[in-house]
Amino acid sequence: MIRFQNVTKTYKNGTVALRDVSIEIDKGEFVFLVGASGSGKTSLIRLLLREELPDSGSIWEAGRDIVHLPKWRVPYLRRNIGCVFQDFRLLPNKSVFENVAFALEVIGRPKHVVANQVPQVLELVGLAKKRDNLPSELSGGEQQRVAVARAFVNRPLILLADEPTGNLDPTTSQGIMQLLDRINRTGTTVVVATHDEVLVNWMRRRVVELDHGTVVRDQQRGVYGIEGSAAATATAAAAVAGPPSGRVAAVAGPPSGRVAAVGGPPSGRVAAVGGGRARGRAQERA
Amino acid sequence: MPISAEYVAKETASNLWRNRLMTVAAVLTVAVSLSLVGAALLLKQGAARAEAEWQRGTEVMVWMKPTASKNEVAAVGRQLHALPYVDRCVFRTHQYDYHEAQRLVGAVYAESGVTPKQTPTSWRCTPVHPQDATAVIHTFGGEAGVLRVTAPLAQIRTEQHVINILQWVFLLVALVLLVSAAVLILNTIRMAIFSRRREVSVMKLVGATNWFIRLPFMSEGLVQGLLGSGVAAAIVYGLHVVLDRIGSSTTGSVLAQMRMTGWEVFATDAVVVVIGILIGTGGSALAISRFLDV
Repeated sequence: MIRFQNVTKTYKNGTVALRDVSIEIDKGEFVFLVGASGSGKTSLIRLLLREELPDSGSIWEAGRDIVHLPKWRVPYLRRNIGCVFQDFRLLPNKSVFENVAFALEVIGRPKHVVANQVPQVLELVGLAKKRDNLPSELSGGEQQRVAVARAFVNRPLILLADEPTGNLDPTTSQGIMQLLDRINRTGTTVVVATHDEVLVNWMRRRVVELDHGTVVRDQQRGVYGIEGSAAATATAAAAVAGPPSGRVAAVAGPPSGRVAAVGGPPSGRVAAVGGGRARGRAQERA
Repeated sequence: MPISAEYVAKETASNLWRNRLMTVAAVLTVAVSLSLVGAALLLKQGAARAEAEWQRGTEVMVWMKPTASKNEVAAVGRQLHALPYVDRCVFRTHQYDYHEAQRLVGAVYAESGVTPKQTPTSWRCTPVHPQDATAVIHTFGGEAGVLRVTAPLAQIRTEQHVINILQWVFLLVALVLLVSAAVLILNTIRMAIFSRRREVSVMKLVGATNWFIRLPFMSEGLVQGLLGSGVAAAIVYGLHVVLDRIGSSTTGSVLAQMRMTGWEVFATDAVVVVIGILIGTGGSALAISRFLDV
């Protein structure tokens, strides 16, 4: 679905954002991009949206070479990519419904499609009752849900999220992650750039770590992996190296405790979700 | 991708209303600047009109000797009428010229003892162009029976000079005003769009084509341009009415000679409205292109 091949990106001021990066992401994958600020996460997202062009290397997205995509095709590329940002980017003077509908209207979707799709996606993100509220009347988490709804309403192949939980408290962040996970289950490829250690460790999905523009780690079912955090490294090792049963244990076990430590009350719910997913995976494998 | 007119109309209306302060600012800027441009254009046309008026009034006078025979007078008349650069000629009798002299000079003329018979007769001719008066003077200076040929040459030259300068000044003022109006209007539109760059970035993000983003903005610019230039056109018309009223009450003044027909005012108004539409739509297209290039 997404393929970076030896991509290098340098900005005009001389900053090297990405250095010879090669990543491949399959259809339906859920990938975390982690790394410190300035490691190149956002640059990678911007390249995927074709807001920037690389200096060298090639980028393939949904079977298309997007580096050589003519300019007038870019809007059509973006219709296949949903995007969510840290600052939500909602239009403050449009209601929840209008914000989501706007995404369909500006790509020329007919009225009946808008009338049909928007309530569905609002139901999915759990905001059906707040459709007539303005963004200012919503909490941060709800606003981000609207942003996710807007990104997903056109059923994109890929959903990109740049620090989607950066402005949210841990509990709310988990809710957003669960939502992204639900969207991922519909077959949408999800790429999340984040430095939220707890969430990454909790979700146990593929982790690609960037450092000063290079990929330093690419783990299936990985953790955030901060230096000095022995527990995290140990968990990661267990998660990666262990047999399937061990993996399930790793998912259902320690992270819930960790989440409980940070998020407090919802630990029970989170554990349940983690367990549920683990079971799901186990069944898949069986 | 088809862009529905309904979408554009809806977006335009709601955006104009939602940003009504900016809308009012843009409309007022267009109105004020374009009414200045229109006023300058109107004055330039007035100057042109005054020149035409003066030209029509220019006369060459071929004075015949009081003793000239009827044949000599008729011969000069025939030659004058044959000249291509002479528009029309009228013959004035002894009696007419005597009375005219009396009127111009006063009672002194009659008291000097000159009789109507001693007053020269004259051909009064209007050349096609005032500068052709010189040619008439040269041609008829030595003709049989001709006393003298006179024309207000110095006056013609001064008048033409002044009017030429006036026309240029008005045109220049109009151009300078037009440029500053364009900059002002562009800036206002850019401010309006800048305040909505968020919206534009969202539209780009979800994959709206550039035309889809541009069209509502352009139609907004069109509406603002139309409204503003409409007001400007009304102001220009009002100025015309005021000038006309002053001109009609003071016959013989410059303003009287600058009086224009409805068509000339209409043309000026049309120019103002066209400029308003072009600046409104073109300005919006130009201003938005900055934000589209991502």
